[in-house]
Amino acid sequence: MSILAHDILEGPEFALLRVQLQNGQRMFAEPAAMAGMDTSIELKAGLKGGLLGSVGRMFAGESVIVNTYRAAQGGGEVQLAPAAPGDIVHYGLSGGRLLVQRGAYLANSEGVELSASWAGARGFFSGQGLILLQAQGSGDIFFNAYGAVLQIDVTHEYMVDTGYVVAFEDTLQYQVTTLPGLGVARTAKSFFFGGEGLVVRFSGQGKVWIQTRTVNPFLTWIYPYRPVKKRE
Amino acid sequence: MQTEILARPSAAVARLTLRAGETITCEVGAMVAMSTGFQVETTTRQRGSGGLWAGVKRMVSGENFFLNKFTARADGEHLIIGPTLVGDVIHHELVGAGTLIVQGSSWLASGPGVEIDTSFQGIGKALFSGESVFWIKCSGRGDLLLNSFGSIYEVDVQDSYVVDTGHIVAFQDTLQFTVGKLGDSWLHTMLSGEGLVCHFSGRGKLYCQTHSPPGFGHELGPMLRPR
Repeated sequence: MSILAHDILEGPEFALLRVQLQNGQRMFAEPAAMAGMDTSIELKAGLKGGLLGSVGRMFAGESVIVNTYRAAQGGGEVQLAPAAPGDIVHYGLSGGRLLVQRGAYLANSEGVELSASWAGARGFFSGQGLILLQAQGSGDIFFNAYGAVLQIDVTHEYMVDTGYVVAFEDTLQYQVTTLPGLGVARTAKSFFFGGEGLVVRFSGQGKVWIQTRTVNPFLTWIYPYRPVKKRE
Repeated sequence: MQTEILARPSAAVARLTLRAGETITCEVGAMVAMSTGFQVETTTRQRGSGGLWAGVKRMVSGENFFLNKFTARADGEHLIIGPTLVGDVIHHELVGAGTLIVQGSSWLASGPGVEIDTSFQGIGKALFSGESVFWIKCSGRGDLLLNSFGSIYEVDVQDSYVVDTGHIVAFQDTLQFTVGKLGDSWLHTMLSGEGLVCHFSGRGKLYCQTHSPPGFGHELGPMLRPR
């Protein structure tokens, strides 16, 4: 069940989220995600969840400001498009908790509370930025990815490269680690030369969503094409 | 090994399911996710390809010096691998004496029966446009996974065919080729905006990609801040 009447169009490559708000209904979304909306919708940029919550979100790498959309005169439609081409996933919270990778948050309905997850601090120093937002309560949350999204039902144990984690249910335990099965020297070799730097090792039961591309290798790829600064 | 390609063609990844003891060698950084029953080893060489020296050659040729080798410890272990750029992934099975020449950045992974040799210089030597293109000669038997920038299309060359070098993913070595300019003169080549092209002749399979990575790089590069 979802609170917001919505559909996800043009997935998985160029997904766009369309939400039909009923009169008086509100939703919250990442700023700059709005692609189009009816004129009956009121848009209010502002801090949601008070200053403390906003600071928490800032630490998690999300903007402090979450835009509020409210259908003022009758219903109306809002279309949200993430910055990167890729898929959008809807997740219905009913009392549980979902952890969302920084930057993947797109929107949520009323009833969902967002906060920075300090459990993510374990990944904070990983350099790969496993910094997480925690969503809890009852309602809808939408997150987006770069590339397609694969849903993995973890039943025992699973490993994902840190850069590819989009979201996961908090029924799973997780640990940021290097690829296992290697001795100390081999771990060092794998870590520095193997490219597969750090992985998140999930255990327990729950769902993990992963994206099929990450932005960082693309940035590394484009680097040599940048112009070279002229020296005076 | 069972291969399933997901999210085609724009953000494709390969989901590989291995039996106990089976091995797959991947490009460094290709691993997206995996079950936990793998032995992972960073190697400097592929089996049968000549030890450290082969690794050094890979380094010199611009290919990553290190490869990651995943060995399943139990039946049904699975691994998801994917490339850097947006685009497709295909599975090609090498049978018998069929040799495939793969453009360096299009090689994603190969099975243990496939020997990879980076000393092949046929096209690379002829390229002096400043692109660091290297080629990998894949021979033997087994699975080969290739990736493309954009989607992949197959050309069955019967007689002759011309492709821009940036659009080549791989080709069978039954094809002969020469690298050259498209027009009659260098001036013509410059004006036409086409880079170097590969003239293929003979019979064989050619995999092409709809977009050229260097083409995209040169388009974006000037818009970026100088490094």
